[in-house]
Amino acid sequence: MTKPVPNSSRFVSLGLFTLLVSVPQTLLAQVAEGSAFRVDRINALVLVLVFSTAVLLYTKWAKAGKPLYLRKIPGLDAVEEAVGRATEMGRPVLFVPGIAELDEIETIAGISILGRVAKIVAQYDTPLTVPVRYPLVLAAGQEVVEQAYIEAGKRDSYDKDTVKYVAGEQFAFTANVNGYMMRERPATNIYMGAFFAESLLLAETGNAAGSIQIAGTARPEQLPFFIAACDYTLMGEELYAASAYLSHEPIMTGGLKGQDFVKVLIVLCIIIGAALVSFGYGEWFINLFEAV
Amino acid sequence: MEQMDRRWIYLMVAIAVIIPFIVPAELPISITPEAQAVFDSVEAIPDGSNVFVVFDYYPSTIAECEPMTTTALRHFFRKNCNVITLSNIPLGGPSMAETVTRRVAEEYGKVYGEDYVNLGYKYGYVAVMTGMGSSIESIFPTDNSGTPLSELPLMDSVKNYDDIAFIFEVADNATADYWVSIVNAQYGVPMICGTTAVGAPKYYAFVASGQFLGLLGGMKGAAEYEQLVGMPDEAVRGMGAQSLVHLLIIALVALGNIGYFIIRYKQRRERI
Amino acid sequence: MRTTVPVAIAFLSGLLLVTAFFFRADTFVGGLSQELTVWLTIVGGFTLLLGVVSIVRVNWTAIQRRKEGWGYKILTILAVFAMAIPSVLSPDWSPLFGRAEGSVYDWLFQNLQMPMMATMFATLAFYIASAAYRAFRARSAEATILLITATLVMLWRVPMGEYILDQLPGDIPAFLNTYVMGGFNMAVQRGIIIGAALGAASMSLRIILGIERTYMGKG
Repeated sequence: MTKPVPNSSRFVSLGLFTLLVSVPQTLLAQVAEGSAFRVDRINALVLVLVFSTAVLLYTKWAKAGKPLYLRKIPGLDAVEEAVGRATEMGRPVLFVPGIAELDEIETIAGISILGRVAKIVAQYDTPLTVPVRYPLVLAAGQEVVEQAYIEAGKRDSYDKDTVKYVAGEQFAFTANVNGYMMRERPATNIYMGAFFAESLLLAETGNAAGSIQIAGTARPEQLPFFIAACDYTLMGEELYAASAYLSHEPIMTGGLKGQDFVKVLIVLCIIIGAALVSFGYGEWFINLFEAV
Repeated sequence: MEQMDRRWIYLMVAIAVIIPFIVPAELPISITPEAQAVFDSVEAIPDGSNVFVVFDYYPSTIAECEPMTTTALRHFFRKNCNVITLSNIPLGGPSMAETVTRRVAEEYGKVYGEDYVNLGYKYGYVAVMTGMGSSIESIFPTDNSGTPLSELPLMDSVKNYDDIAFIFEVADNATADYWVSIVNAQYGVPMICGTTAVGAPKYYAFVASGQFLGLLGGMKGAAEYEQLVGMPDEAVRGMGAQSLVHLLIIALVALGNIGYFIIRYKQRRERI
Repeated sequence: MRTTVPVAIAFLSGLLLVTAFFFRADTFVGGLSQELTVWLTIVGGFTLLLGVVSIVRVNWTAIQRRKEGWGYKILTILAVFAMAIPSVLSPDWSPLFGRAEGSVYDWLFQNLQMPMMATMFATLAFYIASAAYRAFRARSAEATILLITATLVMLWRVPMGEYILDQLPGDIPAFLNTYVMGGFNMAVQRGIIIGAALGAASMSLRIILGIERTYMGKG
């Protein structure tokens, strides 16, 4: 399909605009040839600066006491209730912080939520089990859980083997956790982090064991499985928002608002870009977002 | 009907999987545009080009992924392409690449070191993918069995991505995202992706944006590719079992819903 | 001190890696970031020891206390060492050592680990069937649309199902490929991916700036 031909007045203004955008771009590209700085990545730098400014500004406003609205996330509201249920039943809580390494931001999100959950668990004196797949996650998990018990004033109740390394292989890990679920029948299973093919294996076994299940992952391909087999599922960015949400601290919600602001900007860019491309004027706009 | 013991379901699935292997049936396989695009893009590569076939899958997904790599190797060897295999999966990746490539190479009388090379595995896929952009030898000084690359004639003409005409990535995990964002976006090497049926929906976006020239999704995608290459094999044979299991699941869902509506109807009548 | 030092390290490391993205690899900043990545690999290697210690301690305690299934714990510990020890010994001493073909490690991997991994993955078929039967209910208009779409896509993805679809009026497979997979599915996937990427970036920023410290057990 050929592009529509723009009329003359539009053409002139478009030409001027293209000139304004393309000339500096060409100059920058020439400068970039011999420069240590990646001028061709300047678009990413602009985005980083806008994003950082938005997060910092909203955090500052939150600190100053400006009320920031956060919508309800039912899955997170259910955490305390689910831990309470485990206490009443005298059964443990299982927390799986995903199966990825600590360099995955999803795992860090999972570990952050673990800290919040561990504090609630410590307050209720409910047993907690956290199987992990990587030693670095083990070290971080142990630190977080110990600190949560200390903050809850239950240092003596803390068992170092609450967080335990199970296996480095995906399905060996899954087999172990599934075996644990069927033997110990935890009242509550919480899955927060990066999950892959084991998502349904874990969630379906937990369902068979009669546990209340709360899951959260940013992997779109695993979401349907969690939705089918769990009681509550956090989708995508909700996982990253969970720690801030559970903290009830304004300073943390500032970060979320900053993120929302950038999301609005991106949505606007998508709408403008789609409109420009649809009318045949989008080439320069697409070039602004070129990834190199 | 609404709540059936799950063990009955497991038994039915087992029977549905086994029957087609005992009583095989020839089923017509239609071709999706994404699989056709995979075939066409490989066909478009000049004969004798250097290509990457990447084994980025764990042994657990052999059923879905191995038919893709096997057919790709047959397709490339038929075109006399020089094949370089590698893996970003430490557990089983390099040995699967070794076994599958040797087996297919024997079918075509190809010689190791001249027609194909297995680079094996190196830790840190981001560093590996980025590093090969300047020098493959700096990342893989030796092949999978420890032979220096300088002793392999094929590698004389393959120094970095400039010498690679095509990447055939088969992955059951997110490494495909990195091949797109690092190698395709930054070095412009054309590529396609073969992935599991679960992973495929995510990659339609990459096909639409032109980053993947084509896409093979799960065993059905592999069967389509086998059909296109004209060498029906494991995936085509597996279509019988997959068909029956899909139909069984649909029947179970229908059954569950019938039970659900009967109960709902009864509850309403009781209230009246 | 226990909080300040890790937060400072996180800030400096994060800042360096973000800055390095905007510099060429052969510059000082680029080199430093690559060095940092190597450090991460080394630290990761050492922490493997932590994993071995944890797995032995947890299982050994269970054996000592004769907990239910303690016999399996002995097998676990034996399996850890049976795979690990021959694989780290030099193949010069014996062809059974190392990880090449014919070694103990390779034999165990090919004949035990690989079939076990494939078996675990294959059990997904059973679980998917059971989860679909239990969860797919036409409870509302949205759930009904989801149910019908899922059924059509499942039919479309297998030859027998496609044969059934071909008997119906209209080109349903083409509709599913163009509008369901290439339309609705792609739009939703993009939405989730963009949202999750922003969430990850926001969380990273909170970590680098020391606002988010819960991953260290603080805050």
